[in-house]
Parts: sequence; C-alpha cells; structure tokens
Amino acid sequence: MRNFATSPFIAVFQNEVLLNRKRVAPYALMFLFVANAALWWSRPAVQFGWATNSDWYIVRNLLGFSFLLGLPIFNAVIMADPIIRDFRAEVDSLIFSKPVTRAQYLLGKFLGNFFVLVCCQAVFPLTLLVLQAFPTSRMIVQPFRVFPYFKHFFFFVVISHLVLAAVYFTVGTLTRNSKIVYGLAVCFYPLYITYAVLLLRPLSFRWRLALDPMLLSASLQGNGFLHSAEFLNQYVVGYTADMIANRAVMILIAALCLAVLYVRFTIAERSGNVEKLSSLNLSTAFAAVYYPESSPATRLDDLEKSDYTVTAFVPHVALPAVARVNEGFRANLIKLIATLGVEFRLLRAERSLVVIIPLVIFLSVVEVAFYNIPLDVSYSAAYATNTAKLLLLFLLGISVFFIGAAMHRDREARIEPVLWAAPAPNNVLLLSKFLATVLLLCGLIFAVGITALAIQVSKNHTPIDLLAYVRVYGLILLPSTIFVTAVAVLANIALRNKHVAYVFSIGTAAALFYLYSNGYNQWLYNPVLYQLWNYPDLTGSGSKQSIILIHRLYCLAASVAFISLAHILFQRKSTRGVRVDGHLTDRGWSILLALVSLTTAIGTGWIISSRH
Amino acid sequence: MLTIRELTKTYGGSIQALKGISLDVSPGVFGLLGPNGAGKTTLMKILATLLEPDAGTVEMNGFDLISRKDKTRRLLGYLPQDFGLYPTLTAEQMLNYFAKLKGVTDKQERRALIDALFERVNLTSARKQRLGGFSGGMRQRLGIAQALIGQPQLLIVDEPTAGLDPEERIRFHNLLAESAGENALVILSTHIVADVSSLCSQMAVIRQGAIVASTTPQQAIDQLKDSVWEATVPREQVTTLKARHQVISSQMLGGQARLRVISKGVRPSEEFTPATPVLEDYYFDLISQR
Repeated sequence: MRNFATSPFIAVFQNEVLLNRKRVAPYALMFLFVANAALWWSRPAVQFGWATNSDWYIVRNLLGFSFLLGLPIFNAVIMADPIIRDFRAEVDSLIFSKPVTRAQYLLGKFLGNFFVLVCCQAVFPLTLLVLQAFPTSRMIVQPFRVFPYFKHFFFFVVISHLVLAAVYFTVGTLTRNSKIVYGLAVCFYPLYITYAVLLLRPLSFRWRLALDPMLLSASLQGNGFLHSAEFLNQYVVGYTADMIANRAVMILIAALCLAVLYVRFTIAERSGNVEKLSSLNLSTAFAAVYYPESSPATRLDDLEKSDYTVTAFVPHVALPAVARVNEGFRANLIKLIATLGVEFRLLRAERSLVVIIPLVIFLSVVEVAFYNIPLDVSYSAAYATNTAKLLLLFLLGISVFFIGAAMHRDREARIEPVLWAAPAPNNVLLLSKFLATVLLLCGLIFAVGITALAIQVSKNHTPIDLLAYVRVYGLILLPSTIFVTAVAVLANIALRNKHVAYVFSIGTAAALFYLYSNGYNQWLYNPVLYQLWNYPDLTGSGSKQSIILIHRLYCLAASVAFISLAHILFQRKSTRGVRVDGHLTDRGWSILLALVSLTTAIGTGWIISSRH
Repeated sequence: MLTIRELTKTYGGSIQALKGISLDVSPGVFGLLGPNGAGKTTLMKILATLLEPDAGTVEMNGFDLISRKDKTRRLLGYLPQDFGLYPTLTAEQMLNYFAKLKGVTDKQERRALIDALFERVNLTSARKQRLGGFSGGMRQRLGIAQALIGQPQLLIVDEPTAGLDPEERIRFHNLLAESAGENALVILSTHIVADVSSLCSQMAVIRQGAIVASTTPQQAIDQLKDSVWEATVPREQVTTLKARHQVISSQMLGGQARLRVISKGVRPSEEFTPATPVLEDYYFDLISQR
C-alpha cells in the first residue's frame, strides 16, 4: 500500500509551506496581526467594563479581525499566485513531467498555501490568548481559557476565509494573472457592503445569518453597546443551526470552486502566451541558408569550422556614429530622468501596488467618510488633519518596503553588472530610486487629498479650504516622507540586505512609537511630528508654528545628510579621491554636502532643543 | 594598448583569485582562455570597474582604469557572463535606457543607433516584445547590442557564447570581429577554445589565477609542430598509455579510445601516427601541466 506521507500531494503541500517560509509576506502579516491583537485587546473593553476574555468579546475581536484589517485582501497576497509562480519560474514542465495528478497538484498547492494563511491568522487569537496572562490594573479578566479562542477562530475566521481563498486561488490559476485577483480583492469591501446593504438588510435575522459569508450578523445587535457589561461578560456564543448551515454552505462553495478549477485547469501554457513564445524563435535555420549539405551532422560540423562565416546571409548594418555627452549637469539630468522613467515603469509593474494604493486610500479616509469627526478650525482643516494622521503611518511603511525593493531590484534582476559598467554617476542611480519612491508617495498623498475633498463635497461640509490641505500635507506628510525614505535608502546601503533593513526599520519605528505613546516624545527624535501638532499650530494661531518650521528644516537637512552618506557608502565604486584635475569628484561633492547638511541639522536641532 | 601589471585579488582573505597578473593587449580581439574558476571573470570584472583589485595597475593608452572609474566607464562596453534584464520592459525601452545612460542624448541619433543595433543583432521583429519572454539567445544578443552602444574603445565580453546555438555563436563571432575596429580592443573571456581559434588575433591562458601563456593562436599551434600524435586503441590500454606518455586528450569512440599525446619529434610508440596540432592541443597541454 502506498504511504500517504510520501505521496505527491504531501510533497506539493510541504513544498508550498517551505516556499512561503522564505517569503516576507507571511512574516509581515504575522507582525501586523500580533500588533493589532495587542491594540484591540483592551480597547474598548476597559472603557466599558467588558471582560477581555469573555466568550462574547473573543468573538467580537475575531469577527472584527476577519472583516476589517484588510484581511480579505491579505488573503489574496497568499492565495493569488501559487500556480502562477510555477509558470513564472518555469518549473511547471519539471513538475508536470512527474507522476503527480492534477488533483494532487492543485489540492497540495491550495491546502499548502491555505495552511500558511491560517498559521498567519492564528497568531491573532494566539496573541489574545497569551495576553490573558498580562492584564492591566483596570482590566476585567475571567479565568484563563484556551479552547474558545481556537473554536471561534476556526468557526468564524477560517471557514470564511476558506471560501475567499478558494475563489482567489481559482481565479488566479485559471487566468494566470495575479493582478485580476488583487483587483478582485480590492473590490471585496465595496461588493460586500453593497451585498449587505441591498440584499441582506431587508431579510429577517435568520436569513441574514444564513446568507452572510463573513457571519458578521452573528454578533450581538449594536456590537455590544446596547447591552450591559454584566450581560456581555456572562454571554456564551452558541452555534445555532442557521450558523452551522451557513458554514456548511461556505465549505460547499469552496469545494465547488475547487471542483471548477479541477475541471478547467490545464497544464499547458495559455494560447495567448504560446503565440507570444512561438515568436521567440528568431532562428533563420528553417531556411537552411547556412547549410550547404542536407545531413544534419554535416551542417553542425560545418558550422563549427573556424573559417565558416555567415556574413553573406546577415545584412551588414553599419552603426551610425553618435555624439556622447557624459559630462556636465545637463547630461546627468538626462540620465536621471531616464533612470527615473525606468524606475516608474518598474514600480507600475509592482503587483502589490494594485492592492496597497486603494487600500491605503480607503483606510485613510474611512473615518471622514463614515464617522462624524470633531470639527477643527474648519471642515477642511479637520478632514486634512484626520486623513494626514492616518496616512502618515502608511506612508512610513510603504516608503520602507518600496525603497527596499527598489534598492535591491537591480541585483535581484541580475542587471547590476550591466548598469554599473555604464557611465552613469552613482548619484543618478541612487537619486532615481529615492525620487521615484518619494514621487509615488506624493501621488498617494494627492490621491488621498482628492478623495477626502470629494467626500467633503459629497457630505456638504463646505466651504472647501484647499490651503488647509496644502498646509497639513505639505508641512507634516511631505517632509516626514522624505526623511523616512532617506533613512530607508541609507539603511539599505549600509546593511546591504533588504530583509535586515526591513527588520531594522520596523524595529526602530516600533520602539520610537512605543516611546512616543508612553510620553517620551521629544522633538529631536520625532522626525514625523507624531502627536506633536494640531492644525492651529500650522497656521500661526497656535504656539508652535515657528518650531514646526525649524523642525521641518531639521528633517530635510538630516535627509540630505543621509542621502549623501548613502552615496559615500554605495557599493559601486567611483573615481578615487575627492579632487581630480582640479574638480571635485562625486565623492567630494557628497562629503561636502554631508558636512553642510549635518551642520544645518545640528544647528536647527540646537535651536529646537533650546526652545524645549 | 591595454597594460595590466601585477594585478592581484583575494576573496575573503584566503581565496587568491588573481596572483599578480601582467598582460599587454593590443587593439583587436584578445582571447582569455581558462577553465572554470581560473580567475577570468574576476579579471573581467576588474577591467569593467565592478571590482576593486587588491594591488596592481591597469592602463589604457597611459590612462589609469582603476582609479578613474567614471572616465573608464565612458570607454567601456561590457557584456557580463551572467546578467538579467528588467522583464517588464520591452527590448526597445531597455536599449533606449542604456543609450541614455551612455550619454547618447540626441533623440534622432539615439533612434537611428537603436534601429541599427536591432538590425545588427537580428532582433528588429522582437523590439516591442517584453524581455521577460526572451529566450537565452535573444537575451544574449540584446546584451551584445547594449555593449556596442557608443562605439566603445574597450569591449569586454565574458563567456558570451555560453547557451547559444552553433548558428548564433557564429553570428556572434562575426559581430565581435566587426566591432573590433581599427582602434577598439575586444577582450573575450571564454573556456571554449574554438571561440578563440576562430576569432582572436592574440590570446592568453589563465590557470589558478596566473597567466601561464600569452601568445597568438598561430604561434601557439606552431609551438606544437611535429609534437602531436594520435592513436585509436582498445579501452583497456588507456591507463597504461596514460602512464607512459603525456596524454593531452582522450575520447571514447565506438568502444575504443582516441588518444592525443605530446611527444617532441619522437614517435611515442607504434600505435601513434602524426597529427596536425590544433589550439585545443596547446590549451590542454598547458592546463594539464601540474
């Protein structure tokens, strides 16, 4: 009898787990989920006297986790391209030439990746479970419990995401296009909200429960706010027949999706691609013009002869003489623009952007769109302030991750030796990556601003004050973005490794935000001005306008210093020395710029510290 | 004229990749032959400004290539042994990008140059195609096209024919030969002896980080005049003959072994007949010497 443990299905499954272990995405997701579990653990339980480990509060947290936090979108990050990866890495022919059946391959792939997804998600209940042991003084904690966390996690989260995973996996595999899956994932929220409002809301509670794929209707009415704390702390969430039927239907839908995939899946490259690949054969051998004799052996032998030439058959094309300009500001500017153009093209091809940009815009404007935000000096000021505070954290994360990708892309694409042998100065290669990321983030800031404006108009919160947006985004977001991007460039160059740079950046940011939240919020080591400003401070009616302006200069000077240091430490070596033929070399300019910017940063830093 | 003097490079403090290499290279195609791991790529990378040597100098017409990297890159065309391209760009976008980086600022000139390059490497019909779909041979051809931009005075090609089919290999040889104009210097690094014999006017053999010979292919062959002998013998005799003679190559053919041995003017034994020396004999003779 064949051993199941050594079957192809298990091999495919294990290989998927192994591949995911080497990806950054699962670790990033786990980190995010742990951070969110820690954030949601006590809020709003402490405020309303709810026990943080009551049955009801566990389910409330899990339902929130399952629906919010972009989890339906993160699901797509894991499930969109397991099969596409095989085709992209060109290992498909190696795999399909082995005795592995279609079912074993597809199921191994699906379950392997879904297992990784569930492991990532499981850190959320696991963190909540561990946190029971560390209650704060005002927190109500019931006796330590383990089973409800996993029971509810499986029932409310795993099954809901099984369906989504099956849909994403099926669409990704059949279309061989992960962008379609990401597009689908981005559409999840609008589709689900439309479905809930138009179809579910008019139905009775039982039908709502049965037809809600995320089972959000299972939560108590009013999300707990309509009941007393005593009631909620004693409330035990039971699984009704309707809920069980809902889960059974979800599992059936997932199975149906996979069955459709099984029937439709073909190991052959799709016809469009085949056509494209067939044109790769540019060999003119089919015309047999090079071979004087018919025997294939003779043909090759003849070709190997040293005196054999093919010039008679290949038209000689003389290369035109061209003027080359490699010196001067204009020449370098043209190279910088060219490099920037390529960086943008490469950024445009980044699949993650399809998910990240809409998600960030959505999450940044979610409060102004769905809640009544407290009125500041004006509606525009309140909108700009609110969106800026939310957007800032995303900008930091995006700049760190995209700079990491950009700085190491050339090496990973193995184009580095060709690029580095070209007569483009180091500042062109470095600045293009820096500027491309900063401009991308500027575009994101602009998009959030436009969306916030549109919401403001649609809610009739007029008059529109564009200057309020310009002030907030220009003074707070833009310099912070430039600073963080410059730090990320330096970190990637100094540490040489993308992942080490990520860990360094995330670790430093987490430590700093922890300090800020605990009151150790000093202007000099808070380059993003987190919790240090209000809108009136930016207009002059507050007390901090001048110090904020000096602080922004301090940040920009420090950014220039970091970029100059990155240039000095850049692995690609340039002309030795700081002066050659009476002119400063690139290195010389970098040292000079680093000294000037450091002096400016120290000077402005001294002014800031003397005022506080 | 390229002059290399006492070039050394050590990796990680223990692996000595180059052991004081000195070479004089005149314009034309220069072949650098050597087995895998001999130090060819290290030398090529130093010449292409990608690697810093521990000691030594490299000068071209009296100009220091090591210390003036920025200036060196303006003279340079480089095709690395192993390179990639941005898969999401088209061939035209990629070549246009390289042309701009090489300082071809005039749009008209750049367009004419790119058109000619695509014609020359036979990629005109694929110019709008994304590089992610290129075959190995097409990628290699685009590699040589980018190396030829701006008529480089120093063209360095590292193992360029690896992965090319025989037809593409010959076309590639012709491209290189044409590229080595009156003043241009082409350095071809390879472990395929036939590439050197068909293409190069000068050559050197590198082994374990040291130059063991610097000559021309013809001189190399002339050195072995009346010294190469060939015999087809039963397989069982190979070990005995290898122990008695300086065997430079053995090849199994139809259950028998064809041996080539070196013996200066003296017939090794009755089985052997005189053979016309080829560059492979010279190379294998050098490489097999301990």
